[in-house]
Formats: sequence, C-alpha cells, structure tokens
Amino acid sequence: MNFYGFILDNTGLVLEYTLNHISLVAVVLFFSLILWIAVGLVISRYDRIAGTIISLGSIVFCIPSISLFGFFMSVPGLGLGRRTATLVLVIYAMMPLVRSVYMGIKSVDPSVIDAGKGMGMTGLQILFKIQVPMAWPMVFAGIRVTVVLITGIATMATFIGEKNLGRLIHQGITRGNADMIIAGAVIVSLIALAIDYIMGRIEKKITSPGLRFEAGK
Amino acid sequence: MIRVDNIKKTFPGANSPAVDQVTFNVNEGNICVFVGPSGCGKTTILRMINRLIEPDQGDIFINGKDVLEMNPATLRRTIGYVIQQIGLLPHRTIEANVALVPGLLKWPRDKTRQRVLELLEMVGLRPGEVGHKYPHQLSGGQMQRVGVARALAADPPIMLMDEPFGAVDPIVRIRLQDEFLRLQQTFKKTICFVTHDINEAIKMGDYLVIVNQGRIVQMGTPIEVLTSPADDFVLRLLGDDRGVKILDLTRSGSLMESFQAPPKTSAGINGCIVQAIQPVKIALEMMMKNNSDQVGVCSGDKIVGILTWNSIKAHINRVSGDGP
Repeated sequence: MNFYGFILDNTGLVLEYTLNHISLVAVVLFFSLILWIAVGLVISRYDRIAGTIISLGSIVFCIPSISLFGFFMSVPGLGLGRRTATLVLVIYAMMPLVRSVYMGIKSVDPSVIDAGKGMGMTGLQILFKIQVPMAWPMVFAGIRVTVVLITGIATMATFIGEKNLGRLIHQGITRGNADMIIAGAVIVSLIALAIDYIMGRIEKKITSPGLRFEAGK
Repeated sequence: MIRVDNIKKTFPGANSPAVDQVTFNVNEGNICVFVGPSGCGKTTILRMINRLIEPDQGDIFINGKDVLEMNPATLRRTIGYVIQQIGLLPHRTIEANVALVPGLLKWPRDKTRQRVLELLEMVGLRPGEVGHKYPHQLSGGQMQRVGVARALAADPPIMLMDEPFGAVDPIVRIRLQDEFLRLQQTFKKTICFVTHDINEAIKMGDYLVIVNQGRIVQMGTPIEVLTSPADDFVLRLLGDDRGVKILDLTRSGSLMESFQAPPKTSAGINGCIVQAIQPVKIALEMMMKNNSDQVGVCSGDKIVGILTWNSIKAHINRVSGDGP
C-alpha cells in the first residue's frame, strides 16, 4: 500500500478533510488580511507604537501553536472547534503580515514621498497613491509566507476538534500508518503551493510593471 | 511676487538655527538662485516657501497672501516643485507622472492628456516613445526632463527647484540648463532655484542670494556679486577665476572703442570677429586663436568697434579692486 492508494481508498474522508482545511485557511486569510494590513498601515504612520506592535507579533509567534490552541480553547465562549482555530491562526498571521506591510511602506523611497507632498498630495493621497502601491511587492511576499505558514499550522487545529488534514497526520502517527501521514502531508503541501501560485498570479496582476524590476524580477 | 520676511527655523535638537534672519524678495518672472555650501540652509529656505517646513517665526507672502494661512496642499498645487532626486512615481507611467498635479486639481481627462503631450514635447521628449514607459526605463537626463514637465503641468506661476540638474552628468547638465533657460524666456515663471554650484548660479540666476550658516551673506545680480563680493566667504565661493566669470557676463560691445565711421582699412583687424552682444570671453578666445591683441566687434555684419586686450585688462582691474 502507498499513500496514493490510501487516498483512493478513502476518497470521501480525504475530500472532506481537504475541503475543511481549505475553508479554514480561507477564513483565516480573509480576517488576517483585513485586520493585519490595516494595523500595518496604521503603525506605519505612528512610529512610536510600531516597534511595540511588531515585537508583540514576534513574541506571540514564538509561542508553540499547540499551547495557544489549548489556551484559547479554555476561554469561555470559544471552546472546541472553528472559532478557536480561526482566532489562533489569525494571531499567528500577525507577525509576517504586519511586519511586511510596515516594512513595505517604510521602504518607499523618501524622495518620492517628498515629491508627492511638494506637489500638493494630502497624507492619505500619499498613502494610497504612492506608499501602498509601492509597498505591494513586499506586502505580497508577506502574504505568501503567511499562506504557507497558516496552511501548515492549521494541521494542529485537529487537536481542538477541526476535522482537517491534520487529523490524517495525527491518526497516521497513532496508528503507525506511514501512508496516512504522507497522504496528509502531501495534500497540505499541495494546498500551500496552489494558494501560493494563485497569489503569485494575483501579485503579477496588481503590481505595476514599473516596480517589477525593483523587486528583481 | 514672493516676499520672505525675517524667517527663522531651528530644527529640534539643533544648537543653532538652520535659517536665521532671512529676508528677500523674488520679482515676478525672475530666477532667484540660492547658493552656498551644503548644509547652509538654502534647501530649508526653499522648503519653507511651500511649507514643507514651517518657519518658527517670520512671514512668507506670495502675491501679498500669507502662505502660513493657506491650506498647505492647495498652496503646493500652485507651486511647481523639482528636486534633485526627481522623485518620479516608479509605479506610474511617464504620462501618469506628468498628469499628477492636473489629476489632483481634477482637470477633465482630455485637457490633462492634451497638456501632458504638449509638455513632454516641450521638454524635448517624444510623447509617443516615452509616454507609456516607466521611470526606470529612462536615462537620468530623460527622468529629469520628466521632473520638470511634471512641475510645469498645471502651469504654476511659481517654481521651486532644488538642485534640479545636480544628479546628471556635466554634459547633460549643461544641455538641460540651456534648454531650461530657453523655456523660461517664454514662460517667465517666478523661480527659486537652489544650487551649490556657483557657475550654475551665475548662469541661471537673474538674482543671487548667497547663504552661509543659515544667514544671507550677500544678495544681488550675478555681476554685482562678482564685481563686489561682500566678504572673504563670497570671494572664496566665487573662485579664483572671478575675472573670467565677469568677462563671461560682460558684453563685448560695452568694452569696445567704437568707431565713428567704419574704417577704410582694417589694419590689424581681421574683419568681423565677435558680435557686440557676445560675452567678452568669446572675444578673448578669438584673440588667443588669432594670436592678436585686438578683435573687431560687429553688430550684424557691420563693424562697429575694436576691443583690445588692454581695455579688457583695465576693465577687470577697475571692477574688481583686488582682482587678478
């Protein structure tokens, strides 16, 4: 028996876990992007709090995921299941996203901002017409890292009741079934690669051709 | 047109003011050049005019209106701004870059496009060729032209230029200077121009403001400054070739001995050599070339006088007392 055979023999189960996995990642990505890009934009304008926020993200990122799942599970109102899983993964997404947005905005050539300001652009116009478009390549790099990260860590959510590919891996370990573990791992990787690929295509669409050479492409 | 009255600015954490007791006027249609060593405060002065830096005290008026009472963004849209680093938006095409201020002013699309094409043409770029390109695809000289076109887009009466030609190589710089002066003859913008290059200052300026350590050391037309430098600092800034620079600004006609009537024989004069309106420097060059002490000065193709080496020497000695 090989992992491919395992998938064929358990199509229904594997499909259910895979869809659950993808939907969890999608939901997490949705909330993370809205929340952390906004936070990144805000702290790029308030340098005094930027350091604190970014360090906070890094600290949270250092906490082992399993303990974070366990901790939030015990918080009243969260409990087992998707709500806790989503919350924890969104917290994990903070570090790469906030950092890349902040760095992206800060890496914009000051002379471009000076020129914009000198020609009469308002603060918001500078943010949305200069800084954000110029930060795109860096922000997208952060988003892609986040996607891979979230897809991987999502497997741990199986311990708090998420029926996703983590369950294949976990049960494979307890049963000593190598094919099961590999099946779970391979599908997780494929999901991560697929989303990364889609993100890459979107990035190419959104990023101005004028910036492509700066990103080294 | 621009009146700056006793402005002062001290940056936070600095011991001495960056700009202190600075007062000057810029007349309409003039190029006023601020020149001085780096860190002397000339850029700070410039940036206070469009309120990129707020003065601690003093007043700035444009057409009698106090700029400190105007909305900064609205004010800046009426003032062209060119900087050494150019600051083109790398993610926008050249056309979109030039259309920036018209866009902020919400011009109709057709009018903006018309204006962009016209401007690119005017600064010597082919709109069809560069319009759709991105800044990184252009050479330094081309980018600087786009920078000038962008500043001119909404036809602002005033332009602030901070070392606009500082980042390009000397050959391109001279060409850009010449082209800009030619454009200025038709535009007649009121321009504040910052440079650390005294040669550029003398070439571009109708009026020089020499700045050192945050204060104005001397103001005047280039010839006034050259002929009577206020102190040692100005003297050193002008360089060792002050006399030659004066000759560059002096017309041959003003030093020649004019003829009452055209001479029958042109002994020692090899016909028409320099025009009366050409600088004496050219006459000097011709003397060296022809290995002679004098040249004939003409107006059109009619010879009107003779310029001799002795009269040039006498002139230099007269105008710069302690001169060469």
